[in-house]
Amino acid sequence: MALKQISRNKCFGGFQKVFEHNSVELKCKMKFAIYLPPKAETEKCPALYWLSGLTCTEQNFITKSGFHRAASEHGLVVIAPDTSPRGCNIKGEDESWDFGTGAGFYVNATEDPWKTNYRMYSYVTEELPQLINAHFPVDPQRMSIFGHSMGGHGALICALKNPGKYKSVSAFAPICNPVLSSWGKKVFTGYLGTDESKWKAYDATHLVKSYPGSHLDILIDQGKDDEFLLDGQLLPDNFIAACTEKKIPVVLRLQEGYDHNYYFIATFITDHIRHHAKYLNA
Amino acid sequence: MEEEAGEEPGFDSTPAPRVFQFYHMDLYDSEDRLQIFPAENARIRRETVQAEVTGEPSGEGEGKDQRDLHEDVGELARLYGLEDDHEIGDDEFVDEHRMRGSGYPPYGMKRTDAAGEQSDWRRSTEAAEAQELGYGGWGLAGQCQDLREAYRYTQGRASEEYECYVIPEEEDEEEAADVFCVTCKIPVRADGKNFDDHREHEVTPLNKALESAKEEIHKNMYKLEKQIIEMENFASHLEEVFITVEENFGRQEQNFESHYNEILETLAQKYEEKIQALGEKKKEKLESLYGQLVSCGENLETCKELMETIEEMCHQEKVDFLKDAVTMADRLGEFLKTETDGEISAQPDFEDQTLDFSDVDQLMGAINTIPAPSAPVINPQAPNSATGSSVRVCWSLYSDDTVETYLLSYRPVRDSSPGKDQAEFTLTVKETYCSVRNLEPNTQYEFWVVAQNRAGLSPSSEHAVYMTAPSPPIIKCKEIRSCEEAALVCWESGNLNPVDSYTVELTPVETPGASGVTESLVGIPTCEALIQLLPGQSYVIYVRALNVGGPSARSESATVHTTGSSFHLNKDTCHPWLTVSEDGFTVVRSERKTLAREPLPSNTRFTRCVAVMGNLIPVRGRHYWEVEVDERVDYTVGVAFEDVPKQEDLGANCLSWCMRHTFASSRHKYEFLHNRTTPDIRITVSPRKIGILLDYENSRLSFFNADIPQHLYTFSCQLHQFVHPCFSLEKPGCLKIHNGIAKPKHVTFY
Repeated sequence: MALKQISRNKCFGGFQKVFEHNSVELKCKMKFAIYLPPKAETEKCPALYWLSGLTCTEQNFITKSGFHRAASEHGLVVIAPDTSPRGCNIKGEDESWDFGTGAGFYVNATEDPWKTNYRMYSYVTEELPQLINAHFPVDPQRMSIFGHSMGGHGALICALKNPGKYKSVSAFAPICNPVLSSWGKKVFTGYLGTDESKWKAYDATHLVKSYPGSHLDILIDQGKDDEFLLDGQLLPDNFIAACTEKKIPVVLRLQEGYDHNYYFIATFITDHIRHHAKYLNA
Repeated sequence: MEEEAGEEPGFDSTPAPRVFQFYHMDLYDSEDRLQIFPAENARIRRETVQAEVTGEPSGEGEGKDQRDLHEDVGELARLYGLEDDHEIGDDEFVDEHRMRGSGYPPYGMKRTDAAGEQSDWRRSTEAAEAQELGYGGWGLAGQCQDLREAYRYTQGRASEEYECYVIPEEEDEEEAADVFCVTCKIPVRADGKNFDDHREHEVTPLNKALESAKEEIHKNMYKLEKQIIEMENFASHLEEVFITVEENFGRQEQNFESHYNEILETLAQKYEEKIQALGEKKKEKLESLYGQLVSCGENLETCKELMETIEEMCHQEKVDFLKDAVTMADRLGEFLKTETDGEISAQPDFEDQTLDFSDVDQLMGAINTIPAPSAPVINPQAPNSATGSSVRVCWSLYSDDTVETYLLSYRPVRDSSPGKDQAEFTLTVKETYCSVRNLEPNTQYEFWVVAQNRAGLSPSSEHAVYMTAPSPPIIKCKEIRSCEEAALVCWESGNLNPVDSYTVELTPVETPGASGVTESLVGIPTCEALIQLLPGQSYVIYVRALNVGGPSARSESATVHTTGSSFHLNKDTCHPWLTVSEDGFTVVRSERKTLAREPLPSNTRFTRCVAVMGNLIPVRGRHYWEVEVDERVDYTVGVAFEDVPKQEDLGANCLSWCMRHTFASSRHKYEFLHNRTTPDIRITVSPRKIGILLDYENSRLSFFNADIPQHLYTFSCQLHQFVHPCFSLEKPGCLKIHNGIAKPKHVTFY
């Protein structure tokens, strides 16, 4: 697994780098961004994985969220993978913004023609962490995950499907209950087929109901003026209700006036980094 | 090398080195050191010899002619030996002496490289040879040879000497005592032939005996030292007595002399007076007699004249006679009528006059007494000389006054009742000081002193005011507030009258790293002190009150823990519907609805929301406390400024920040209220224990679900004043406050 460095920029004493590698899981070249805080020069640091939303690449988060200062201060290595396989020449992959390229949805597709490449769930939970652990000064025992929108959904399902694997999880405007949202219905049908029972394996609200109760502290920020919230794509209340019932600790902060974009993320990114640092640096 | 080679066995066989065991320092050496001596001694020997050899050239330079050194060297060597040592036979002394004299390292240092042993010895001999050769290099070959001979000779001779001398020593050595017979008080050898004699005796190992003997000697030395000190003390005491006797007698002599002179003067005066009186008396008497004599003479004249006149008349004619006779008869009759004083007006003898010597008697009597003392001088109060019930009064007097006792009088100074007679007390004291006891604390007393001896009382000294130390203050233990870096301690004065200041003493307790040193904070003007402390410690705190008289006794102790922040609830702020439990940390709102009427508005007491405020220490650090809540109870917890409007709800103004929980139709609602606004926050797990972090440094107030632990919300608040914890119950129920707990690690991220 050769890594090819695409870029390297000093940032808050550390380095923001972008690498490219050949993904076994996705059978294509994948890029990921990694921020190495100054602390990583002398010791192994915890790894925090960021999963981006629809249409994003590894670039959006590192250029727009302004996470670097907090990550540098808390000594966290932050990894931001791409959101889907790219250039796989699958018919229809670039037809819509909410399916195919840029919309991997962090699932392992079971349907043709997607099932060969669209294995983002395995990629972000297995292949990428192994790659990172092997090549960078990170402590494999300390990892957390967070994300935005589709990435928030990804973060939640990764954490809920792997109790104990992630020390903490947080999300910005996550798609909390995709089986009930139009986005979710579309992509799950495409990647997983029409059997809705299979979808539940990738639905945070459903996963909560079977979550074994390993401690997880979930922080969710949600802009109140988020058009996708109003559109019923995100459905945080369903997730909150499920968590309340299962007594899974969630703090959902409904932020007055904020919408769905990176300005909203940048506003609260520090709170999220701190949330993860609390568990990763405990 | 051959010289040494030949010699080596000699050294090994001769017990000469053992001689060194008799160096005084060896007595104190351990056995293992003794064992290593032989090898060492060989080295020292070698070095000593070497020194001898290198010392040779001067002697050689003198011997210019080709003398046969074979013959002379022995003498030379002896000369050198004698030069230094005077007694060539006294080898152990010689060696030691040479060794020191020749600048070799002291014996004690040599011990350390005992391990060198044989190889070291070799090196040493080689070095010796090398030195010889070096010498040979600059000297004449013959001389060199001669010197070698001489060297060998000396060496040989030396070992001979050793042999001669040492043989008896060796025997001694073999017989060297290793045990000590306590009964006979002699050292004996345990396996020696003489030991049978001591078999029945009590024996101890020699070392032990030595130890005990040394100990004994040390004890005796100690006794002697003590005795010396005592003797010295006694001598100095005698000296003092000597001086005192001199002084006293000198004073007495002076005294006597002055008295004697006084008496003499008095007597002389009396003599003068008497003499004068006598003279006057005499003059008076003589004058009186003379006057009598004169008048007597005058009378006689008159009589004679009358006789003559009568005789003349008798010779006259009858007529004339008769004429004159009548006249004459009248005159005569008149004359005879005047009484001739036949009495002597003044007696010649001397009237008995008693002399009054009573004053002289008094003086004579007073010759052995002393004058009444002059007024003593009372000292002002010395600092820190008083206690709460006593003062130490000091005074002095003119040194040549003799005083038997002093009468120290005092009375309390009270401005309040000047007219009223205060009880006066008088003590009789021998010394020039007195600790007056059983006084009232923190009270002024007026003191004056009169000196007294046989001759009488002195005038009174000036009056001086002394003050007793205050009573110890009383720490208000229940009101102590603390945080990790400080404690606010307050106390009651314990004194009716004001005191000058207070001192706080603090000692860290039972921490191995802590110094245990008592620190003091002095000059505290009020009845409270904010004390800077170290985190995570426990301190015992005492308070003393101070006035001019000194410090009071210590107050009862109070213990302060700098683990977390500790506060107590301010009952003055407590809404009447709330009760604070006995322990002070459980707030209860009971079910009873009898108290339906609203209390009157107040500035200190909450009247609208059923709340109570805590008293947090005014330190701008980080404070953390927890509140145990019932999930079904409506409560509000947070902070507020002290002057928050008490007739408003918490969070309903910009002077309070709080988290409010309301439970309605089985739904929990959490609000984080400040100035009536709250963010919209959903919490899935209802906290049972809320952690509250007040962070002045970052102007933040954070709430946590302390059990999970989950961060709930953080206010950014401008805390221009100090805020206090607030607790409110909107429905019947209770809140339990946890105080003085360390900040959990997770809160340090907020």
